[in-house]
Amino acid sequence: MVNPAISISLKQDVRRPSVWRRARFSLIRAKWPLVAIAILLVVTFCAAFGPLISPKDPNRQNLVLRLAPPFQVEGANPEFPLGTDGLGRDILSRLIYGARVSLLVGLTAVVIGGMLGTSLGVVAGYFGGRVDDIIMRIADVQLAFPFILLTIMVLVVLGPGIPNLVLVLGIGQWVTYARIARGQTISQREKEYVEAARSMGANHWRIMFRSILPNVLAPLIIISSFNVASVILSEASLSFLGLGVPPTVPTWGGMLAESRDQLLAGKWWLAVFPGIAIMMTVLAINILGDWLRDFLDPRLRGAGF
Amino acid sequence: MSKNLSRVVKLSLFALVIVMALPLLVSAQTPDENTLIIGQSVDVGQLDPATINSRAEANIFFHVFGTLFEIADTGELRPYLANAYTISEDGKEWTFTLNEGLTCHDGEALTAEDVAYAFDRAANPDNGFTGNTSGFVLPSIGFQGTRVEDELNVTIITDRYQTPNLRLALISEVYIHCKDAYEAMTLEESAQNPIGSGPYRFVEWIPDDRIVLERVEGYTLREANFQTQIWRVIPEASTRVAELIAGNIDVAANVPFDQSEAVNASGVAEVQAVSGTRRIYVGFQFGENFADAPGYDALQKTEVRVALQYAVDVPTICQTLLGTSCERASSMVNPPNNNPNLQPYPYDPAMAEELLDAAGYPRGENGVRFETVLMGPRGRYLNDANVVQAIAQYLTDIGVQTTVDIRDWADYSQLVRPKEVGPMFFLGTGGGTWSALYDMADLSGPTAGTNYTNWNNSEWFELWDSLADIRDAEEERAVVNQMLEIFYNDPPWLLLYFQPDFYGVSNRLNWNARRDEWIVIYNATLK
Repeated sequence: MVNPAISISLKQDVRRPSVWRRARFSLIRAKWPLVAIAILLVVTFCAAFGPLISPKDPNRQNLVLRLAPPFQVEGANPEFPLGTDGLGRDILSRLIYGARVSLLVGLTAVVIGGMLGTSLGVVAGYFGGRVDDIIMRIADVQLAFPFILLTIMVLVVLGPGIPNLVLVLGIGQWVTYARIARGQTISQREKEYVEAARSMGANHWRIMFRSILPNVLAPLIIISSFNVASVILSEASLSFLGLGVPPTVPTWGGMLAESRDQLLAGKWWLAVFPGIAIMMTVLAINILGDWLRDFLDPRLRGAGF
Repeated sequence: MSKNLSRVVKLSLFALVIVMALPLLVSAQTPDENTLIIGQSVDVGQLDPATINSRAEANIFFHVFGTLFEIADTGELRPYLANAYTISEDGKEWTFTLNEGLTCHDGEALTAEDVAYAFDRAANPDNGFTGNTSGFVLPSIGFQGTRVEDELNVTIITDRYQTPNLRLALISEVYIHCKDAYEAMTLEESAQNPIGSGPYRFVEWIPDDRIVLERVEGYTLREANFQTQIWRVIPEASTRVAELIAGNIDVAANVPFDQSEAVNASGVAEVQAVSGTRRIYVGFQFGENFADAPGYDALQKTEVRVALQYAVDVPTICQTLLGTSCERASSMVNPPNNNPNLQPYPYDPAMAEELLDAAGYPRGENGVRFETVLMGPRGRYLNDANVVQAIAQYLTDIGVQTTVDIRDWADYSQLVRPKEVGPMFFLGTGGGTWSALYDMADLSGPTAGTNYTNWNNSEWFELWDSLADIRDAEEERAVVNQMLEIFYNDPPWLLLYFQPDFYGVSNRLNWNARRDEWIVIYNATLK
């Protein structure tokens, strides 16, 4: 015989919409995240299919057509809708290819930093004591250096290039994840489900990464969404300083750097278009991150957009 | 629609410029009447007068240290610390007579012994000096030693005769300093604390920021019209221009031609354009430490190096990236001292391809003949990084797949001196108009410090040595022409151009830029 109270409760659980369904409703209600997703889809599409959709070879120079203005501005060349740079290269094509580097660097560095930081944070929080002390003191030492300074120092030693850039930016991020993962793990490690796993004979690694980790992931996912934006900005800053990727690889930050000498000469399009690309992408990621935070944190649900 | 768009963009840009310019406006100031401020793109590496590694360093040192003779802006060689010289019969010994009553900045009397010391110290291998004096000047004159004749007369002993103009020009690049002051210092100390003999004394060096000099009161050999000189380091060309327009500096070196209009329209300063004497080239590296580098083997072949001369459209590079119609070089020698029979290689990519086919480097299935790397600096020469990329494009177009490796000048210069650049590298070396041999002295020997390519054409170096026995100007000219032909036909350089120079000069100043990149500014005056 079934207890009626229990059967009602089960019925209510069955009717509760799935996470995806709730996410869809939330997105539609908020609107701005939808715009952000649209922007990011365009950027991702450019990154994935750059060679197919790019109207020109981004590195093809045409000195005679250098500094051609965009649109219908006097002196514009219809072959180059966004104009050309100081070497006569198509700015539109370079923007499209630049999306690749920005996304590649942003996502990979966050994955590297996130995995490293989360693992160390969970270990520190779970074991506590000396292990915790060692890991967190290393984190403190790294935090004592300004991030961009540390990155510049390492890149000067290792040399510029995409792999080194990704590595440096990734390693530069781990502390944030480690501190959050540690705090969350400390709050979880004495809970009943952890005790249950322990009493069933699960070893430390299984408890940490099978039992605790899924319960501490939500804030880490939110942080990582913001971090992607900050890493894209860091890549742009380092490329602007000449420490990012080689000048032949089109990047948004590199394009900005090349525009420096032309700003006083009134060649605004060299800076404005990569600037807009960086701004829109970072803004979109931040909007999405905000929404994700609200969505995953029940206390904030309904607030925000 | 486009007008509205343009207006919106212009307004946005205006707002952006205002925001960016705020810090400049806040710090804008006109230098006082007693202070002259010069903005150069690179800092000094150290302050020892025996280690000069760039023209930017030489410019500052020239105001702190005297030289025996001085190269005037006209190319004329005029007396400075010395007032006369005699040459021995065999032409190997030059005796200079110093002015009376000279002193160094610490008050020590400057005598013949000090001049001898300055030369000997630079030549002493134990000191490990690199750069212009020990790597170029002394090997070029065949320096053997010195002899102090008396308090005012000192003899420079060399192993060869040399055209007087060339020898004087070279000797004019050795900075004279006092023996007692420098013997009392370690090399580390002397690299930080210059004690000079020129019209300005050193006050302070803030690395990557400025060097401050102060007038030596009572100095009579040269006029010094400003109490203080400040040589600022401003790596970014656009920042130098912004500082000039803001009135924060009086002279800006290496102004990009694209910004000339903005400077001239400012009402604060004007751009002076001069046809420079610096030879800009791409060097082919022969050093065996590059034997495994891509393209090294191909570039050892004379036919390949000649073929590449036809591949680069130098006039278009000049017109578009340098803003002027500079002449393509036909040799390493500045006009009018070059070989008149040599014509610059024309831009003829079809010829380049034909010659590469004949040299055994046909295009592969992917269109590539061979791959190579072109190294180059950023921020040292006029629009250098863009010129390097343009050259790489031209070479790639004829099937020589060229990857560029661009480094900041500070890093790049560290590789150039020990000849660790290649298999192709972009470089500019200073030249002069007073003697063909001065320009050719870059290649005074297979191991000369300025033979950055490690070129070792035996015919060239035999003829170079033979010049030591030639006294007749016409005979010397014939040998020079023959050597330049060898250089032309077995080129260690991809010949490019003589660099034009653009200086931004404040309207408050009376000063004219020189062709040879020397910023000699002790005689500048206020209008």
